[in-house]
Amino acid sequence: MPVGETLLDLARRDGVRSVFVVGIAKNVGKTVTLRALLEAAYRVGLGVAVASTGRDGEQVDVSDAQPKPRLFLRPGTILATARALLPASPACEVLDLSREQTAAGTLLFVRARRSAYYELLGPPTASGMRRCIERFQELGAEQVLVDGSVDRIAAVCGGNDAIIVAAGAAAAPTQEEALAQIGALVARLRTPAYDASAPALHHAGALTAAGAAVYLQARERRQIVVRDPTQIALSGKAFCNVAARLDLRCERPLRVVAATVASIGRDRSFEPGAFLRAVAAATGLPTFDIYADASTAA
Amino acid sequence: MKLHGILDEQSALALDAPWFIAELEPAGDYGRSVFAELCAFVPGEETLAQDRAQRVAAFGARMGQARLELLREILHTMPDARHAVATAAMGDLPDDAAFLELLRFCDGAKQIDAHLGDVDVEPCADDAVRTLGADLERGRCGRRGFYLDDAFDPQLAEARVRLDETAAEFEAARGRLAGAVARQLGRDEPAWGEFILMRGDLLGGVPSHVRVVREAPTYYLCELELDEASRAALQRRDEAAQTVAALEYAVRAKLAGRVGERAGALAAAMRRLGELDVLVAAARFAVRYRCTVPAIVDRGCIDCVGARYLPLAAELERVGASYVPIDVRLTGVAVVTGPNMGGKSAGLRTCGTIALCAAFGLPVPATRATVGLFDRIAWLGIGVQADRGGLLSSFAGEVVRLRDLLEDEQRRMFLLIDEFARTTTPHEGQALLVAVIGRLRQRGICALVATHLSGVARAAGVAHLAVRGLRTVPSRPLNGDLAAALEALAAAMDYTLLEVGADDPGQTDALALARLLGLDDELVAAASAALCDSAAKAPVHQARSHVDQ
Repeated sequence: MPVGETLLDLARRDGVRSVFVVGIAKNVGKTVTLRALLEAAYRVGLGVAVASTGRDGEQVDVSDAQPKPRLFLRPGTILATARALLPASPACEVLDLSREQTAAGTLLFVRARRSAYYELLGPPTASGMRRCIERFQELGAEQVLVDGSVDRIAAVCGGNDAIIVAAGAAAAPTQEEALAQIGALVARLRTPAYDASAPALHHAGALTAAGAAVYLQARERRQIVVRDPTQIALSGKAFCNVAARLDLRCERPLRVVAATVASIGRDRSFEPGAFLRAVAAATGLPTFDIYADASTAA
Repeated sequence: MKLHGILDEQSALALDAPWFIAELEPAGDYGRSVFAELCAFVPGEETLAQDRAQRVAAFGARMGQARLELLREILHTMPDARHAVATAAMGDLPDDAAFLELLRFCDGAKQIDAHLGDVDVEPCADDAVRTLGADLERGRCGRRGFYLDDAFDPQLAEARVRLDETAAEFEAARGRLAGAVARQLGRDEPAWGEFILMRGDLLGGVPSHVRVVREAPTYYLCELELDEASRAALQRRDEAAQTVAALEYAVRAKLAGRVGERAGALAAAMRRLGELDVLVAAARFAVRYRCTVPAIVDRGCIDCVGARYLPLAAELERVGASYVPIDVRLTGVAVVTGPNMGGKSAGLRTCGTIALCAAFGLPVPATRATVGLFDRIAWLGIGVQADRGGLLSSFAGEVVRLRDLLEDEQRRMFLLIDEFARTTTPHEGQALLVAVIGRLRQRGICALVATHLSGVARAAGVAHLAVRGLRTVPSRPLNGDLAAALEALAAAMDYTLLEVGADDPGQTDALALARLLGLDDELVAAASAALCDSAAKAPVHQARSHVDQ
């Protein structure tokens, strides 16, 4: 089975209808992963809707003028995009006008009538993205795919959404550092649900390094409970150190189902096979290399 | 709603103007624009204000709450198509989202007319709206969408068929190529976009139709290279796409022309919708709060029966309590006295907001009212925070505000004075207040003056309105429960505002209130003894207190 289909199959287990692809940094293959999921969804005949928490699908990255992977959408695909990014041709069905405003105008829900390249620009807030996903489902989407970002998934994701984490050579100067980053991120996103029958201390808001230091100094043995894993504002080694010494838990666990790798970066590249295996080992997740058509999934 | 002509910022806050604005705000974008321009009627425009209040009340009565809510729902969901009309009128091309906005505008206008039935309101959908709706109907997609459909132009249909055919040819040619490359590489997935080939896996070198984008020590980053047949198919597809783009442009230009031709009529229809939205919001307010049409007269007065201060009434309703309406008859200046928490300030606010409603041509929250129009409604005293930094004491701040108000040469002012000079020595405060009232009378200003200072009405020679006060002294609740104390106080308090003689000292109840709210008995008893002592020495005009009895 092609890796895109295996990945989609994994994400859709237990009736999950929305999948978020998040990355540890820019240019780590989020859009390529999304594209593989899209192609797989088209092949199995699912009605797909696609959105982004930022801007995706443009030819050149507006922030650094580097080429970006484009999004070629098939007829019937529903997308959320800003008014100014709606292509003049081929014409799309404009299904609905939202009240969300983006930097490029009103957010629209449109349906592609013809295969073409499209650009996505998402709602600026997490609540806007949640409404966007609900609207997609009302419009008949069977599978929602979101090109996401770690800082936005908290309010939109829950146990009914799947998260795929993308790691790549662009994220760090060495493979070891990239592995440490993805390992810590996945461990953070997989913070377990708290045990209501055991002593717990509910931490309001974000758990920062300063906040964690207080608990460490007090040798806190109770579960430290945050609302959801992205409320833990610690990354890399700091997270690993804190997680090793405190019992970090959350009220709303997230569902991280797989990792993808992009071993090629603009400035450096890692050996693809070795990087794929190392990411799988660091995260404990089935890991996919879309570029090399390879995976560690059984 | 332009308040700044009639209310300054501090008076607007004292009278809870934001609450009224929120209650009167229209549901849609067109209405909000009209609402933002709404000005108060000024003295001399009594007939206009009266007519509007009657129109609002009649419309509300005719429609009823449920139909008003239905209209608001339609107005709320109508997109703002003014930009689309303006764009087309200027010769530019609206996008497809703009055509959807226009289609929904036409739908909404027709729906609203259907709901209005034979109500005497100008129809929203005139010929221009109906004709545009018919033009755009061909693009209706589903119930709520728009698509530049083939039905707009038979040539477009043909061009799209051609585009689909050439796109399929290209996809097939590229698919064959990608499949062949995948087979050569032993992969399941056809080779789209960029992909990696491991050097160690390539026994016979890079396959044909694969272009190396970048070389690394152990792998190549590659992409598919189109063959001649695929390139030719791609060219045919791109040409077909260009034809479709040109025809889509032409259809949009034609539709834009039709919008542009009717721009004036469409803008007028949008204006009518905005005015209707403002009317619906006002009527909803009138129905919801059981407001009545006041008699609006050409003199500065407030004469109302069963008047309510709506923000407080709404707050009380939320906690299951009810508001006691008051009757007020005010011409010129009157002094209001009464116990703490007896409703003096609420009485002032009631009169202020009734004057404000009348100024905007709205039915007022009273069972019957005769109201004059004022150029300005101003508040002085408690509840107004002058933004003058920390340089002025509260008394000094009030004096400066009074000076500013008296310098205002507005033709007709309604002044609400709440415990002015309460923070200075009582005898000087009283003298100052009496002099102020004298100046107000001289200027013909209509004013309501709430105070705890004694003898002001008599000294100033004006009407005296008094809150009746506590009917009985409620027992102090156990455990000092404040909520229970307030509930007992509300039950015992008679909020009725009565005109009494100028010499009537009124009722104060401050010590009874202090005891009810939890001050210890010994302290209250000491205060009561001190009060008796001072009454014995200066018995004239001593206010009645329940603690004395």
